[in-house]
Amino acid sequence: MVGGASDRDALSRARELALAGLLGALGLLLPIGFHALGWGGKVFLPMHLPVVVAGFLLSPATAVTLGFVVPLLSAVLTGMPPLSPPVAPLMALELAAKAGAASVFYRVLRLPLWVALAAAFVADWAVLALAAWFVAGLFAIKAGAIQYVAAAVVISLPGTILQVIAVPLTVLAIEKRVPRLRPAKRDETG
Amino acid sequence: MPHHLDLYVKRESALHRLDPRAKMLAAVGFVAAVLLAPTRPPWPTGALLLLLIGAAVLARLPARLVCRRMLSLVVVIGMPFLLSRLGGEATRAAGEQFAVRSLLVAAAFLVLMASTRAVVLLEVAERLPLVSVFGQLGEFILRGADLLAEEVVRTNRAWVLRAPSATLKVRLTGLSQASMSLLARAAARSERVGAAMVLRGFQGKLPMATPTPLPWSHLLAGLLFALISLGLAGVGRWR
Amino acid sequence: MALAALEVTDLSYSYGQDSSALHDISFRLTPGERVALLGPNGAGKSTLLWCLVGVLRAQGTIAVDGTVLRPGTEAEIRAKLGLAFAEPEDQLFMPTVRRDVTFGLLAAGAGSEEAAHAAEQAIRSVGLPEEALERAAHDLSSGERRRAALASILVMDPLILALDEPTNSLDARGRLSLARILLQLPCAQLVATHDLEFARALCARALVLVNGELVADTSMTALLADTKHLQQYGLTAPLRTDDGQTGVL
Repeated sequence: MVGGASDRDALSRARELALAGLLGALGLLLPIGFHALGWGGKVFLPMHLPVVVAGFLLSPATAVTLGFVVPLLSAVLTGMPPLSPPVAPLMALELAAKAGAASVFYRVLRLPLWVALAAAFVADWAVLALAAWFVAGLFAIKAGAIQYVAAAVVISLPGTILQVIAVPLTVLAIEKRVPRLRPAKRDETG
Repeated sequence: MPHHLDLYVKRESALHRLDPRAKMLAAVGFVAAVLLAPTRPPWPTGALLLLLIGAAVLARLPARLVCRRMLSLVVVIGMPFLLSRLGGEATRAAGEQFAVRSLLVAAAFLVLMASTRAVVLLEVAERLPLVSVFGQLGEFILRGADLLAEEVVRTNRAWVLRAPSATLKVRLTGLSQASMSLLARAAARSERVGAAMVLRGFQGKLPMATPTPLPWSHLLAGLLFALISLGLAGVGRWR
Repeated sequence: MALAALEVTDLSYSYGQDSSALHDISFRLTPGERVALLGPNGAGKSTLLWCLVGVLRAQGTIAVDGTVLRPGTEAEIRAKLGLAFAEPEDQLFMPTVRRDVTFGLLAAGAGSEEAAHAAEQAIRSVGLPEEALERAAHDLSSGERRRAALASILVMDPLILALDEPTNSLDARGRLSLARILLQLPCAQLVATHDLEFARALCARALVLVNGELVADTSMTALLADTKHLQQYGLTAPLRTDDGQTGVL
């Protein structure tokens, strides 16, 4: 489509940055919209939606960076999630892992969308479990990380269901609109 | 009109005029001091609180605004603190430290972000070695937020005109369809923006102007604030 | 013969196997010449402009100031041929106008002071105050955004300025203002538009694209006098019927 290899690389990088910017912006605006409707962030996980979608459309490096930046930027621009206590840094690790896993499984390993989505959830819960173990140590709490993750999963079940429905639909809609974003040599039967 | 998302409070104050790099230096020093200072006895954290109140007064931030923004943290900080009271001595102490430190650090960020435009903070971040990519991406996200906010307003107006008495089900269906359409348009737009960047010479990294030198007086002010904070914390810890 | 500012020879482009967007287009632009690129929607005007800047790789030859567009010369071509998009928002991607306008110069290695000075000159040249540089793009009106986007291209001092539907969403005053700005520029201009009045005010020559083919390369005066061909090319569509009745057709 474009001339030399370096020109193509530059164009590819530029498009990634532009798309990451717009998806990241949605990661800032959706929580505001959800809160305005009275739909809690911890339950519906609105910030997760565009970031996970970004995982499917962007390279792993950009997806991880975006997942990391969005909660921190949201904290700086809107005050939520808070930087202190370190909810935003924790979410940054969570979303970085989630978006990164989606990207690796979908775009690098070329696995089916639903497999990549499952991997993204597992990565998210793994980070939560690690964080819970760390915080428990800080507070000298004997509760297990697994119980914490289980509680978090139950509370955010509506958000998880929303992602399971919305993410594949959104990714497929975007890929249809911009075919270039479809991973090359994707298994069409997957 | 500022960017749609920004915690900046426009004021004419010495703190607002202070170079953002000096402010960030002061903030980092203050946060380190808060983490270092013990909560028992309370005077080190009390002194840090007074120092921060001084900064907020210098920035001429309205007390009501500060309280309102801090109020949003009541649940996030209050719940773990209250739960910690049910535990043993170690848990209660940890809960106390958590609450005090969280409040102080949150207040410090609040003063920093109220006195510095977000776009300026992102430009500073863009120049720092390890976090420059975050700053770059942050700038694109900020611009993207402006664009999407405009689109959302337009779409909402269209909805209000087209279906003013629509049921919730219809609105939700419309909202989800509009969101998908918005995302698809955003993805298509990114193709053109990418082309625009390359046409302007983008090679993989956003070009930046060389920074203006940090004035000595500003650097000194930021350093002084950080050192005083650390001094208070240090005395409290080792006395 | 003087070196052409732009020389296009046998340019063809297809979006897919069965979708030919441009077919064997050839034309030249001399330095300082202003040419209108006319045609109905879907004629291929925008596609042609994208090919000229190398974003779409077409068959045929494109040469700007003697430099042929090929892998490795894209940057050189783009430094000489600036393209103003139909949607100025697509070219205002930084948080402030200053960052947008200085982007190209800084990317080319210019110093900060040089870039800042050039940005101030460029923003003034498009009729915006210097304060506009400190504003966010969303804080500008649609006309101001178009000018800010134009400034971000003019700051590079291009040899040729290509404009894609520059009068979109501009009111009459905005069009006049834009025409005045463009008339003062020394660079060659290729203006893709279906705004005949604007084209007539600005350009002495017209290229007409229909279904991806160059069907006319003539003087603007001759084209506008030829009402039969104007209608045939889809450049005008009368709102009156032949017997002079107006209303719904």
